[in-house]
Amino acid sequence: MDRRHESEPNPHGAEPTDPATGGWVAPGSTPSGTARGPGQGAAEVSDPGSAPSAPAVGGAAADAPSAAEQPRSWWGEAPEGGPPAGSGARSARRLSPRSMVVGPINQLRGLLLPVLAGLVVGGFNPWLLTATGAGVVALLIGGLVTWRTFRYEVEDDRIEIRRGLIRRSRRTIPLERVRGVDVTSTLLHRMLGVAVVRIEAAAGSAGATEDGKLDAVSAAEAERLRRVLLHRRAVLTGRDAAARRGPRAADPAQGPEPGRDTSGTTEDPPGADGVADDIDDPDATVTHFTMPRSWYLYGVLSLGYLLTPFVVLATLLGMVQQSAGEVATDFFVDWVTSTDSAFLLVFGTVSVGVLVALMPLFAVVSYSLTHWGFSLRDRDGSLVAERGLFTRRSVTLEKRRIRGYELLDNPLERTRGAVGLRAIVTGLGDTATRAVLLPVGPRPRVEEVVDSALALFRGPLTRHPRAALYRRLIRAVLPFAAVAAVALAFGAVWPAAVAGVLALLGVPLAVDRYRSLGHGYDGERVSVRSGSLSRSQATVERSAVIGWTWTQTLFQRRSRLADLQVTVGAGAGGYTAQDASLEESVDFAARITPEMVRPFLAADGDEEGWADDLRGPGRGSA
Amino acid sequence: MNTPPHDAIPPRGEPSQPPERTGSARLRPPSRRVSGRAIGVWTLRLLFGAVLTLVVLSLLAWGASSAPWAWIPERAAENAWMLPVAYSVYALAKIAIVPSWRYRVHRWEVGADVIYTRAGWISRTWQLVPVNRLQTVDHTQGWLERVFDVATLQVQTASYAGSSTIEGLDSDEARRISEELAVRAGTLRDDAT
Repeated sequence: MDRRHESEPNPHGAEPTDPATGGWVAPGSTPSGTARGPGQGAAEVSDPGSAPSAPAVGGAAADAPSAAEQPRSWWGEAPEGGPPAGSGARSARRLSPRSMVVGPINQLRGLLLPVLAGLVVGGFNPWLLTATGAGVVALLIGGLVTWRTFRYEVEDDRIEIRRGLIRRSRRTIPLERVRGVDVTSTLLHRMLGVAVVRIEAAAGSAGATEDGKLDAVSAAEAERLRRVLLHRRAVLTGRDAAARRGPRAADPAQGPEPGRDTSGTTEDPPGADGVADDIDDPDATVTHFTMPRSWYLYGVLSLGYLLTPFVVLATLLGMVQQSAGEVATDFFVDWVTSTDSAFLLVFGTVSVGVLVALMPLFAVVSYSLTHWGFSLRDRDGSLVAERGLFTRRSVTLEKRRIRGYELLDNPLERTRGAVGLRAIVTGLGDTATRAVLLPVGPRPRVEEVVDSALALFRGPLTRHPRAALYRRLIRAVLPFAAVAAVALAFGAVWPAAVAGVLALLGVPLAVDRYRSLGHGYDGERVSVRSGSLSRSQATVERSAVIGWTWTQTLFQRRSRLADLQVTVGAGAGGYTAQDASLEESVDFAARITPEMVRPFLAADGDEEGWADDLRGPGRGSA
Repeated sequence: MNTPPHDAIPPRGEPSQPPERTGSARLRPPSRRVSGRAIGVWTLRLLFGAVLTLVVLSLLAWGASSAPWAWIPERAAENAWMLPVAYSVYALAKIAIVPSWRYRVHRWEVGADVIYTRAGWISRTWQLVPVNRLQTVDHTQGWLERVFDVATLQVQTASYAGSSTIEGLDSDEARRISEELAVRAGTLRDDAT
């Protein structure tokens, strides 16, 4: 199938915009696109002079009428405001030449310590030096080969990524299935003015295999790709885009956008297609949020960041252990045995004290590094969240795919009334971090942002029955109490004391867990809250509810409780109201989706229960 | 209604409920039972599992009592035979009770717009899946199911949590339903999230 020709090096470097690009079509080549008729005809546009051009174009034309929703422009027959077909518009692009440097450096970084250790231990003997040099050269050649063989191409309805010198691969991602475009640049990337573009195309199976990764393109090209991909996809899916941007597309005199953000200047590279022009309208960008300085202090409240000094210490120790091995261990043991024990005690106490005292500082510093300059913008129907000092991450979430949001907090954050915000998005799968919309901050401000960017849940949460509290108490206290009792019976005082303390600690935890429970509906959005040490309140639109599941265990049955799971085709897939009253939760579901639940409600007196099941066959009106 | 006293919402500050809420409703059981032959499938499946476990346990017990491993306490080695015996009593009870119990719980109903199922035995699950959100409909039949001429129908939505399974349907009926559902789901070409 792969009849690709790498005929000649392109003298123009990264952006071959040769107008003489020929094209040929091979229908039905990609197994991935079963859902879309026309997209299966994978097109290949290769370098000039290498491919037979004419005959197969008819194949594409034959495919075109089967386009479902709207008349699409295939092969530029009538692209809106775009350049004519077969011109430079769809020519394959290369990665930034600077990726030849970035790739090897990134690979080298992982090997740096072992190589250095090897050199030091080996006493810089010529063989090792030569081998190291050869390794570096090989990496550089690898970078060159990657750059030479890697091509990507945005077509009207798909993006194609081709790569490989010996084992060639071609990945076609239908633009309709692009869920998001993620632009990341590490410090190194930004020094060289490049960025990594990840195209998320998870459909059902959220896996890395579905993604397309361009490592790396120039920052301007990354920005252009993001806009073009999302815009094209919006046109293809044709919901809002056709109506909203149609008229603007006719105006080719739209000026290039002024430099917008940290990713550098965003002027479109020459030869970029016209679609890019009609969407970079600075007016379309609304800034919902930029991070105030004081918010960096909230890093202190996050357990993960509080543990940073210990993590750093462990990493350092691990590095020393790995590189110096037994020498370090022997040295340490010698030092411990030969030093005065009183001094050791003082030294140990002081260093632990210093570490503990440094915890908040480290927390704030590392938190600031990852959340530096956090901003949330609204652009072209998408929310764009950017953050990071050294590694700048930019995540684009299409609003059409956002089904709701999650407010997250832990007990520490609750003492300061602070919450974090995540989006519930279709197609992101388990990569929860990518859906972060806001850093942790005061609840009123976070809710304000939610209200302007999405839509806030304004309703009370129904508390769950008292029996839920007893269940939580039993779960948090009973196991430790039992351990304590057993330990006491066997006369083990210390384990009994520890278990007893844990059992006592379980009481406030259980109470807090109970107080977190709640579910509510404000007429448009459903909200469900649970958890204590990491509490989360998930809110989704009514229309996003794609089913209900009640689960009732034997123990719940006695107190007429049940777990009600709201099924959502986004985020975690389902959000559970734990230990709600069964009757109340059925009514709850019936109020939210009457058409789904009403037909199955019992008339009064027709009760479902154990007795009904044990009455045996014959009763069911089969 | 027979709402027990502890179901009352505790009057602690926060919740003030909208006035229009009725507060309580119940689901009726789905109307259809699965095929009676499903009991056979479940019984045999449990039986095979139990036999396998019993073999393993017996080997362990035999090994513990006869092999000269010093780290096994004397008393444990002497009474090792009790392990498989206790397990077989448990397994027999389970095989006798669970399949027919499960048969009584398992029910299903394909309504105009919604698939409604109930499953489980001690713990149970009620599930509502709207037909217009279906993405795939699977009709599967293991060898044991083929012997008893029953089949399993699985419907999946965009959420893994929204997948519903009906075990032990009569195989002709399962095929009929799956084709019907596939047609109905296919006519709606949204991304169904």
